[in-house]
Amino acid sequence: MHFSRKERHSKNFVPPKLQITSMMDMFTIILIFLLFSFSNKPETMTLKKDLKLPESTADLDYNENINLVLSQTSLELEGKVIGTVKGGKIIGLDPQNLKTSALYERLRWTRERADNVPEDESEKPHILFLCDRRLPFKTVNSVVKAAAMAGYPNFQFGVLKK
Amino acid sequence: MSKLGRHRATTEQQTDIDMVPVMNMFLVLIPFLLMSVSFFHIKAINTSVPVLAQGKNSGHEQITEKVTAIVEIEPVGFHVSAISDSVEPEELDKWDARMPKDAEEAYPMDQLVAQLNKLKVSYPASDTLIIIPDESILYNTIIQAMDVARYYHDDSLFPNVVLSGKVG
Repeated sequence: MHFSRKERHSKNFVPPKLQITSMMDMFTIILIFLLFSFSNKPETMTLKKDLKLPESTADLDYNENINLVLSQTSLELEGKVIGTVKGGKIIGLDPQNLKTSALYERLRWTRERADNVPEDESEKPHILFLCDRRLPFKTVNSVVKAAAMAGYPNFQFGVLKK
Repeated sequence: MSKLGRHRATTEQQTDIDMVPVMNMFLVLIPFLLMSVSFFHIKAINTSVPVLAQGKNSGHEQITEKVTAIVEIEPVGFHVSAISDSVEPEELDKWDARMPKDAEEAYPMDQLVAQLNKLKVSYPASDTLIIIPDESILYNTIIQAMDVARYYHDDSLFPNVVLSGKVG
């Protein structure tokens, strides 16, 4: 808003007040939305754009696990690409000979490195498996089998909450 | 105007609440909450794959009858059956059911949950389900089947889900 010098120096001039009511309203709405979306466990993993997780009614939080991600283009273990997926087939993961795969070798190495294996069933190491919902079971099965053979038969399937 | 009204008009002054501190607080809170917000919520479904048994004995005799439900997800529909060490095979054969896909090529989840619920009511101690999908079945369908098999409304059906490939 522009005031001329004459207007500003006049005795009747009252400096305009900034109307912050509407801004307050906006901030209040944003604050309420953010408070509802607040999570004390923000997702630390970055999901690839081409990874579409299935939706589920599951309400269980995942634990700190080994992350295994199978998308339509790649297989990643703990953020490192260990295989590529082409036409539903994982290059370097022969379903007939899973023990020669990089996935098996790396998981086996991790399993052997684990010093104390907990006896309690609930504390058995899990793999957090994030898999694209459009992949066929044939592709999923070879990954799951290789992990189980390497000593990780328990999984947590990552899903998006409905 | 009455005397009281005039008195009120002269004594009451319009006061503006100073909103600047509130604004400052909002400006601090919003970036903090933006950092902690999660726009998608990842949850987990516990499952396992079959492994060779260690031959461990629990040490006490099984008193209650328990069955393991088997859901085969075939390209044409579901095939539900049950296996058990403590129930007669003739009795188990009654639970064998095939549920073809509906006209819209969707899997009959309602029929599946109804069948599993009946099985659970008959053998309440049962808690394990084996899902055997065909190689062509999409992962999304497997998760949907797991969802309906684990809970019926708020009651637990078969929370222990084992995922297995077809043998042979």
